[in-house]
Amino acid sequence: MGRRRGGPPRGGRPVKSKPCVFCKEDIAYVDYKDYNMLRRFVSDRGKIRARRVTGLCPQHQREAATSIKRAREMALLPYVVGR
Amino acid sequence: MLIVIPELDEEQVGNTVGRFRTIIERTGGEAGEPNHWGRRKLAYEIDHRTDGFYVIMEFTAGERTLVELKRILRVSDDVLRHTIVKLPPSYAHKPLPAEEPEEVPA
Repeated sequence: MGRRRGGPPRGGRPVKSKPCVFCKEDIAYVDYKDYNMLRRFVSDRGKIRARRVTGLCPQHQREAATSIKRAREMALLPYVVGR
Repeated sequence: MLIVIPELDEEQVGNTVGRFRTIIERTGGEAGEPNHWGRRKLAYEIDHRTDGFYVIMEFTAGERTLVELKRILRVSDDVLRHTIVKLPPSYAHKPLPAEEPEEVPA
């Protein structure tokens, strides 16, 4: 237990962490009205992508998630794609 | 932000929005110019309608504004959906591509 801490990552290729896109562009407020931008954080099925996929920092992932939910409420983004 | 039923024409949409502006002003808030996104397709059907007029308006609220506004929005038959969002103080008015961002829309 706990033997995996530190050291090179298991799967071979070392993971480089990319800065979160919102932090990089210095965006303070993730706007729910900008649904085209939010689309990048949603799968083709309309599901919100996981942080490991989006590469967002915790704060921005959370804000992006609430914005997506607001956008869904206002029918800017779908809840489900292709039923 | 609010979605008005597609059965109305532009002018009637304007009147509807005007009603909410008066409510905001009457209750001690300040209403900004409404931003009309126009008629758009909805991402999913609401009450068997596939499109609606999107209107976004930024306003400041007085003490009674929100209670009153929400009550009226809820009972208005020509409003399909509405959301009121509190904007962060840092919010900047930068236009979104194609349409403009606004705020605290009803």
